[in-house]
Amino acid sequence: MSNSTNVKRLPLRKKRGPFLYFILPAAIIVGIVLVFPIIYGFVLSFFNWPQVDDGTRGFINVKNYIELFKDNEFWHSLFLQLGFIVIAIPIELIIGFFVAILFNHDFPLSGFLRTLLLLPVFILPILSGLTWKLMLQPRYGAITYLLSLFGMEFPQGILSDQSLAYTAVIIQDIWRMWPFMFMILYAGITSLPKDVMEAAEIDGAGFFKKTFFITLPMLRGTITTAILLRTIDALRIFSEVFVMTGGGPGNGTMLFSLYIHKQAFEFGKLGYASAMAVILIVISLFFAFGLVRKNMDIDTM
Amino acid sequence: MRKLLVILLTVLFATMMFSETIKVLAWDDAHSQSWNTLKSDFEKATGIKVDLELIPSGSMLQKTALNVTENRANYDLVAIDEGNVAKFGDLLLPYSQWPEGKVYPKVSTNDIPAAIFAAAEWGGRLVGIPNNGNMYIWMTREDLIDNEEYQAEFFEQFGYELQVPQTLDQLMNMCVFFEPKGIYGFAPFTATSEGATCEAVMFFESFGTSVLEMVDGKYQVSLDREKALQAIMFYKELMDYSPQGALSMGHAERIGAFSDGLVFSMFQWPGIVPSHENVDESMVAGQIVYSAPPAGPFARTAVRGCWIFGIPKASENQAAAAEFAYWVNNYDVGLKLAEEGMTPVRTDLLNELSGEKPWYTGMAEAGQFAVSRPNRSVHYPELSEVIKNNWLGAVTERMTPEEAVDNMIQELNELLESYE
Repeated sequence: MSNSTNVKRLPLRKKRGPFLYFILPAAIIVGIVLVFPIIYGFVLSFFNWPQVDDGTRGFINVKNYIELFKDNEFWHSLFLQLGFIVIAIPIELIIGFFVAILFNHDFPLSGFLRTLLLLPVFILPILSGLTWKLMLQPRYGAITYLLSLFGMEFPQGILSDQSLAYTAVIIQDIWRMWPFMFMILYAGITSLPKDVMEAAEIDGAGFFKKTFFITLPMLRGTITTAILLRTIDALRIFSEVFVMTGGGPGNGTMLFSLYIHKQAFEFGKLGYASAMAVILIVISLFFAFGLVRKNMDIDTM
Repeated sequence: MRKLLVILLTVLFATMMFSETIKVLAWDDAHSQSWNTLKSDFEKATGIKVDLELIPSGSMLQKTALNVTENRANYDLVAIDEGNVAKFGDLLLPYSQWPEGKVYPKVSTNDIPAAIFAAAEWGGRLVGIPNNGNMYIWMTREDLIDNEEYQAEFFEQFGYELQVPQTLDQLMNMCVFFEPKGIYGFAPFTATSEGATCEAVMFFESFGTSVLEMVDGKYQVSLDREKALQAIMFYKELMDYSPQGALSMGHAERIGAFSDGLVFSMFQWPGIVPSHENVDESMVAGQIVYSAPPAGPFARTAVRGCWIFGIPKASENQAAAAEFAYWVNNYDVGLKLAEEGMTPVRTDLLNELSGEKPWYTGMAEAGQFAVSRPNRSVHYPELSEVIKNNWLGAVTERMTPEEAVDNMIQELNELLESYE
């Protein structure tokens, strides 16, 4: 009793003090590596800031944003980026979901196979991009050869055609990242209460009814988490596309992040690229808040 | 106490020995590492201590930008990629003001071809000295042109000797000749990178037109539509005699195709040539003859992309920095540096060492015909992007040659206007 009285008497500042000491190191690190660059980038987006100081650096108000919205390449790259997300992630989700359902049943070597399926996720994006580039080579690419066995010939190369290159980039991402979806959804499915499924089976529900009327609704939070994580990841896709196509042919695979890189490190327009980065943050937040608010309790994160 | 005295004396002696220390910034590869290996020779000969910092080439622009300004120079000598000369040109000491060397003589255009020296040109004057001779050289399969059956057949078909193509028309004839024999005449560069701009510049210049010309210190679009169309059409025709995947060939694909013995003749950058001459990597090692690129209807051109040494105006050790640059480009020193991995830029060294490295002959020849990309502008990357996209659009048939040329002219004009 006396202890609790003592606690009550402590001033608020003293009560918070010890907690702050614990939080402070993490807060400083997060501040340095995350908050400061975001603020710095935001401020920079209002400046003309060439990479080399040629005497033209200076505050230009919202001119970068105005230029950006007039830039056809910006809209094109944004369109490609959103298209990439809208096409790749649902496919990854569908594959991941059904494979997770499959692995929810025990069968010989299921544990071993489950581990094998996860391997693509652990491959570095840059290596994945390089490998796919080699596999798609017209002269010695394994995929090109396999396609030719089915009568699909691409003598000039899949990556030299804008539509095919964009498709190849998406397929590469699906190959590498569907196991990520599988991993999350499998964890979600195995944690679902067994009694509900058993009750449904007693009531005569078949596979499709159980999947679409029980499993899917109960997994909504998990699915939203998976989509959210993949969307944020997909918004910053860079290295695999950079090594696979370099944004080409033409600007056929010039995704948003590649265009930011081009503006910043090829054209040296750091202010302009910062404005694009700010737009990317806004889009990321839009996706995050939209998905979280509509579909899940924040606690499921 | 005695130990302390010895240490103090040693420090004093070392200080007297190296009365001056210069800081040098350069990119890191076998070429620049040779300077590091032998810099003690320079230090002994001159008494100048060299603090040589080698970093990845991709970081050079940023590092130089941070350390070389109008009033401050953290380096006394910096290596600058030709494409960045426009960014730093005003901050560099004009070569005419570089002091004479005390130990090593100042390098002149008698030693290095003027076309290579021009890599250091900014604002109508030289602001440095080239330290590598990077330009297109032409590779031709010697075993194919020495084949007696081919020689006789070719002579009968075209009425002249099968040889290293001296003109683009001859190259086309040879492409036609080798096609039925399963050998591709030419390998283009069509990957979405700077190499495509280089191809455009080479062919435009060979056909007698330049994309941009400097007038009163400013670039103006100078592309002649008809000549540009001729260049594009010719290149497209050459691509008909190229290996599979000709629409997206970068360095890796070209190296592979030539080293596999599939290609008769193509350009290459000198830094890549050793892989073609490596018997572990190439089926045509020892069977390549090197020359300047074949001449177009207007001129013979070899696209240049050299690195230069520049001395920042704000450097306090300009004489010592110049001495080091002269040492790197000295004939006697160059013989030793070449053994350690440096590719010389002096014509006499290239000729002297061509027995060991046959592609040096091609470098010495191509050096006479070196041309620059229109990179004397801080906005060059954007200009290059326009040239590259439209050139590739035309040669890979995403647009017609007419559309490509018209777009190129219009977009370049718009870009230049936006920066006025």
